[in-house]
Order: sequence, then C-alpha cells, then structure tokens
Amino acid sequence: MADIFVNKAPKEYVVVPFFGTAALFFLLLCLLLCFSAKEITGHYFNPHILAIVHTAALGWGTMVIMGAAYQLLPVICENELVSPRMAFLSYLFLTIGTCILVYCFWTFRTDWLMMVAGSSIVLSSYFYAYIIYRTATDANKSPIYQYFLLISALWLCFTTTVGILLVINLSYTFIPRNHIDVLKLHAHAGIVGWFLLLICGVGAKLIPMFLLGKSKKTILLYVALILQNLGLILFLVDGYFNPMGGRMLIYGALIALGTICWLIYLADTYQHRARKKVDVPMRHAAFSIGSKILAFGMIPVILLNPQTKWIALYGTLIFLGWITALILGKTFKTLPFIVWNQRYKNLNGKLKIPMPKQLYSEEVVKIQYYLYSIAIVLLCLGIALDSSLLLQYTGILWVLVAVLYVYNVFRIIFHKTTLHHENSTN
Amino acid sequence: MKIALTDAFAQEKIRANHALIQVIDPELNINIIDLGLVYGLDFTIPNRITVTMTLSTPHCPLGDAIESGVTNALGKVFPDYQVDIQLVWEPEWSIDLVSEAGKEQLGIK
Repeated sequence: MADIFVNKAPKEYVVVPFFGTAALFFLLLCLLLCFSAKEITGHYFNPHILAIVHTAALGWGTMVIMGAAYQLLPVICENELVSPRMAFLSYLFLTIGTCILVYCFWTFRTDWLMMVAGSSIVLSSYFYAYIIYRTATDANKSPIYQYFLLISALWLCFTTTVGILLVINLSYTFIPRNHIDVLKLHAHAGIVGWFLLLICGVGAKLIPMFLLGKSKKTILLYVALILQNLGLILFLVDGYFNPMGGRMLIYGALIALGTICWLIYLADTYQHRARKKVDVPMRHAAFSIGSKILAFGMIPVILLNPQTKWIALYGTLIFLGWITALILGKTFKTLPFIVWNQRYKNLNGKLKIPMPKQLYSEEVVKIQYYLYSIAIVLLCLGIALDSSLLLQYTGILWVLVAVLYVYNVFRIIFHKTTLHHENSTN
Repeated sequence: MKIALTDAFAQEKIRANHALIQVIDPELNINIIDLGLVYGLDFTIPNRITVTMTLSTPHCPLGDAIESGVTNALGKVFPDYQVDIQLVWEPEWSIDLVSEAGKEQLGIK
C-alpha cells in the first residue's frame, strides 16, 4: 500500500490553457491555409509557408502536446508534476513567442523581434525539459515511456536552439552551411526527435489504457526508441557535413523500422484489448497512422524527385495528417477528463453528475471527423494535382473543421458544474 | 466480489455493495462493482469499513476521483463509519473480473 501512487492530477491552470490556445492556433492555421491556398505547392522557404508551418508545429502541435504531457507525466512517471508554476511559464513563453514568430514570418520581419520570439520559444522548451527531467528522475522508476518523454524533450530543446540560430543567421550570417540545408535538419529534428518520439511514448502508454489492452512485447518499444534515435542522429550528422543524397534513405528506413516496431506493439495491444467498441475519437488514430505511413513513403519521392509540390505533400501528411488527426481525436479522450476531474472529482458517488463524455457534443465530433477525412484527402489531391481551385475550396473545409473543434473545446473548458438530485429524472 | 450469506456482516456488505454500484468509472462509464474493481469489504473493526480495491490501469489518471466516489457513496449509507481504502495491484485487474452486465457494456458479449 505504501508505494502506491494514486495520481494527483495537476491543477487546471497548468494544462487547460494549452488546449484552449492550441484550438485558437488551429483556427488561425486553417485560416492562413485558406488565404494562402495558391502558395502551398510552392517552395517552402516562403514567408507565408514558413508562417503556416510554424503555426502548425508550435501553436498547434507543440501547444497541445506540451499541455497533454504535463497532464500525463504524473501517470507515466508515477510522480507528481514538479513545479506547476514553471509549467505555466512555459505556456506563456510558448504562446507569446509563437504569436510574434508567426507574425514575423508572415511579414518576413527578420530583425530583433524575430529573435525575441525565438528566444521566448527556446526558454519555453528549456522549462519544459527541466520539468520533465525533474519529474521523471524524482520518480525513481524508469518505464520505457519515460525515456521517450525525456529524450523527446531534449530533441525539442535541440530543435528550438537550432531554430534561434537560424533566425540569427538570417540577419548575421555565421553558419558555415547553406541556410536551407540546416533548415531541413532543424525541421527533421523537430518532426522525428520531438513529435515522433513523444507521440510514440505517450501513445504506447495511453492507447492500451483507452482500449483496456495489454501487450507483453515491451522490448519492441526499446527497439523503436533505439532505431528512431539512431536514424535521426545519423541523418543530422551526415546531413550537416555532406550534401543530401541517397544515404538519407537508409536513415529514413531506420526510423521507419523503429516506427514499425511501435506499430506492432500497438497492434498486439489492439488484438488483446478488452474494450471492443472503438469510439470516434479513437477512429481518428487510424487516419493519423495512415498519414504517418504515407509520409514515410514520400521520403524516397522527395529525395529522387524534389519538386516543391511533393515536399508540400510530405509536410501536409506530417502536420495536417499524422499530428492533426491524432490531436483532433485525442483531445476528446483527455480534455473532458481533465475538466471533469477538477469539477466533479469530489462529487462522484455523492450526487448524480454528468460523465466526461457529456461535457462536449459527440455529434459535433462525428461531423468534425467526417469533414476532416474529406478535407485531408482533398488537400492531398489538390497538392498532388497542383490544383489551386481544389486547394481553395479545401481551405474552406479546413476552416469548418477548426470551427467545430474550437466550439467543442471551449464548450468543455467553460463547462459549469451541473448537479442533479438523485430523484430527478435528469 | 462474492458475499456469503453466512458472513457475519452479510447485511452490511450487501448495503455497501449496493452503494458502490452508484460509483461509475468515468472513462468506461460502468460502475466499479460490475467492472470488478472491488475485491473485498471488511466490517470487522467497529465503525470502520475497509474497502480493498484496484484500478483498471495502475496510476489511472482518474484514480482519486474513483476513490472519492467510494468514500462518498459509502459515507451516505454508513454516515457513522470511517471509510478506509486499501488500493492493491495484486491480483492484477483483468477482464475476467468484469461481470456479465459489465462485459455487455464493454461490447464483449
């Protein structure tokens, strides 16, 4: 009994602002996508594309994932979150930094303001890594999920540090390598090191939890962690000292192989699950995994035929396919529980109270799922066919998806405690 | 959890069991009795109920919500009793512990 840790969820102010802000950034991202539909298939070193990518990576992906990580860290490390105040500071710095950075990219203002934005994001990532490190090491336990979280936090710091160096390099050139080449390394450190590792670690813990499934093949997760990191390190070292070439396929294959190990682990969990019903939020995961596989499949294409539209398709599959599908679904597997836990925890068993699922509209999530499915397929088609008309119409669909998502997120966040007496009908 | 009618505290245990049916696992939306989370109830110490129970996942994020649900539900039926929860991971919770009604709600049957 003594060593049993019953999770003490972090306070609402530590986690909920991340979700609310990310939802607004998602809306902004979809609006920017709508306004810049014609430019999507162009070269990625374009002010509007850079603004869109950083809105997706920082305001949307990182914002939600950082918030969710603060919520899940006590579950994964079996320890209370260290320094919730610092966690809130990391939120402030990330939000302010991202707002300014997106503005700077959109207007291509590369002066001191962009450096301030970059520094703010770097600071936020260092705060995050410190919290992860302290919470994980204080726990005295080291499950594999914890390693994924810790290492991904280090890659986040690496990515933001390279990012600020690139910002400085725009005004005062000092990096001996071509700016665009280093930009590719910066992007992949973030995509693989930060997003992929974190999603693999958190997914390996959460998906079995949601499905009530278990797998004994934990060794696959260790193999995944090693292969993904090895592939990324080799890619970065080789990519920095040599021009990009066919060798990159080997590093991509290592990372893909690691990810396959992770997928086998999940498939085993899925086969051994107790919960047979798979709800709509979980169905988003199928789109996410499909997009991830397609993105890996795009690597040889962009290496052999580096047309800008294929690179755009690769980026779209990563940010709007893999990461967005995951967030759109998983938000409704986490946020309602976070809010419910704060509002109703002490009333459970005392009065008739709503369940977490009743804090949002499941009908709206269903419509969001179908609209999103159409939007991602059409966007990929629009890019592949280089059809600006299709891209413009798809942009409107994306805005609709974002509006539905924002509606549900804020419906949960602003939910007021409602109590029913046990003899009342509802 | 089985309650033997020959048990000296059978009546109390049946009342407690009935009260705990009101405690719902917020993620699965099934009560904790049908989920098989409650392993035992002990009334041998006067004015104290000891509940031996587990969670479907170790370190479940909603663990303390379920715990407070147990305390609240029993507190209503036994206002003069102190509720003591013993959380255990052995035996580990598995689907075999879920009742027929619970399995139906999980979509297994």
